[in-house]
Amino acid sequence: MQTPLSTSDAITVRNLRKTYRIREGGSWRGKTRDIVALDGISFSVPKGQIAGFIGPNGAGKSTAIKILSGILRPTSGEVQVNGLVPWTNRVAHVARIGVVFGQRTQLWWDLSVAEGLALLRDIYGVEPERFARNRARLADALDLGGIMDQSVRQLSLGQRMRAEIAASLIHDPEILILDEPTIGLDAPSKLAVRAFVDELCRDRGTTVLLTTHDMHDIEALAERVIVIGHGRILADSPFEDLRTTTLSERILELDFHDTPPELILPVGASETAREPHSLTITFDPHQIPAPALVAHIGHLPGLDDLRISRPSIDEIITRFYADHAA
Amino acid sequence: MSLRPYLTAFGLQWKIGLRYRIAVVAGLVAQMWFGAVTLMAYASVYHAAPDVQAPLSLRQAMTYTWIQQSLFTLLPLGCLPAIGDAARTGAIVYDLLRPVDMWNWWLSASLARLLGNAVPRAVLLTCVAGPLAMLVGLGAWSLAGPESLILAALALVSITLGALLSATIVMWWNILTARTLSPLGSYAVGTPLAVLLSGMLLPLPLYPDWIRPFLLAQPFAGITDIPIRIYLGTPIPGGIATGLGLQLFWLMALTLLGRLWMRQTVNRLEVQGA
Repeated sequence: MQTPLSTSDAITVRNLRKTYRIREGGSWRGKTRDIVALDGISFSVPKGQIAGFIGPNGAGKSTAIKILSGILRPTSGEVQVNGLVPWTNRVAHVARIGVVFGQRTQLWWDLSVAEGLALLRDIYGVEPERFARNRARLADALDLGGIMDQSVRQLSLGQRMRAEIAASLIHDPEILILDEPTIGLDAPSKLAVRAFVDELCRDRGTTVLLTTHDMHDIEALAERVIVIGHGRILADSPFEDLRTTTLSERILELDFHDTPPELILPVGASETAREPHSLTITFDPHQIPAPALVAHIGHLPGLDDLRISRPSIDEIITRFYADHAA
Repeated sequence: MSLRPYLTAFGLQWKIGLRYRIAVVAGLVAQMWFGAVTLMAYASVYHAAPDVQAPLSLRQAMTYTWIQQSLFTLLPLGCLPAIGDAARTGAIVYDLLRPVDMWNWWLSASLARLLGNAVPRAVLLTCVAGPLAMLVGLGAWSLAGPESLILAALALVSITLGALLSATIVMWWNILTARTLSPLGSYAVGTPLAVLLSGMLLPLPLYPDWIRPFLLAQPFAGITDIPIRIYLGTPIPGGIATGLGLQLFWLMALTLLGRLWMRQTVNRLEVQGA
């Protein structure tokens, strides 16, 4: 039995399928073959949440994002965004969402940022007062003051991305869809974008769906991460859960001023690399807690320094994809 | 439905069209050159065969040529450049993300771009080839004034319809561009068709008798040829009403069919992914 789609969720997706029909051989008489981009995915995003949407290239992320944006029609399945079906109410739907495709530009190359924003005000029918308020707020939060009168053509990538984000929010959308918003940005620009998105969600309750290949975006922003691979959802959990279930091991690095000695390690720990002046030990904190391990080896002669670290988010996600053959 | 987005799209492209002032001057020089060469060719042809009863007098042929040259950028030579760029870079998806009727949105932009290009050139070239040429004693080669004020007014109505018709044909090039994701096809098809069939290459009234009815009945005649004929007072088979009627017919037919083609194209983009 089908229960009605929930209305307290900003985004609801149920059994979403999309197959592309491609022609083989390129000729118009060639045989066609169906490629499954989404193989029945279901998830929902409550209002005001930042959900990370990740997966390797070709996993179906872009397809899902396009369907949610209302520019692609699925083969089957149910979707509601703000209570609307994107592809049947396109105009009403797109008026209430903001979208940033990091690799494409929605501003006009020939115009200044200010002129572009004014144009969007007219397109979305934003009242003058609300527009002035939003413009001032976005200019302040995204540090656009100095570039408002520059033409988009002259902006650096980081400046342009900040302007793009402002452009996607000038009409107060309830949902913001960000498709690789930090691609190609330098570190300060990435941090600025992340800080802004975080604030947007906290202060204004905007629901954010974020796809990215930069796992630091996910770590910094997403309360929850949906991992997609081969058109299916492989995981849907807080990021910490993904870490514990995928790669809970820790790494202990030891530096010596001479050749490292031979060690007898407790169960759960093993030597994984040996250099002329350092040792790397990998251990499972469930079998041997870090303090116990450090106590065990703490008084080695010639030990200069030791560091304990967790695998990087990139290593975790790489392992996760490998485990799922994604 | 608010008109504001469409007026905005119009204003934007109008501004972009006006921004290229150097192009206006360069275009003006080129059009003066082509106009002058064409005029000299007509003069020698007409003088070589004084007994032939041509459908246009030499003065009329000259005026026809000047108006045609001054309206060159009103012709639908290809898609709207902004749509060509968007198709190539993929930014065209943003057009689907706007809460607007895509046909009206692109149409207002296309019309503005045509007018922004054509109006300054037309005003300048008309002044140079008309009053200015007469003042410097080149009256015999100039753009002649209207036969009557009524004809001038009707020609103005007709050129307005012509501009709308041209923008509607540009919409077909825009859709072609959206389908092929490249503006090249639209220029390859649009430029020769528009130059030939509008009468830019040779005034449509000067073609052989048997082909003239077909040339008058095709849509490109409605852009500049019919308005110029009305201005010159040269008879259109069926009268001025037929001329205006043909323009209206093509405007409606190309809008209806174009909207269908557009819907099908948007569906295809939605199904196959942009």
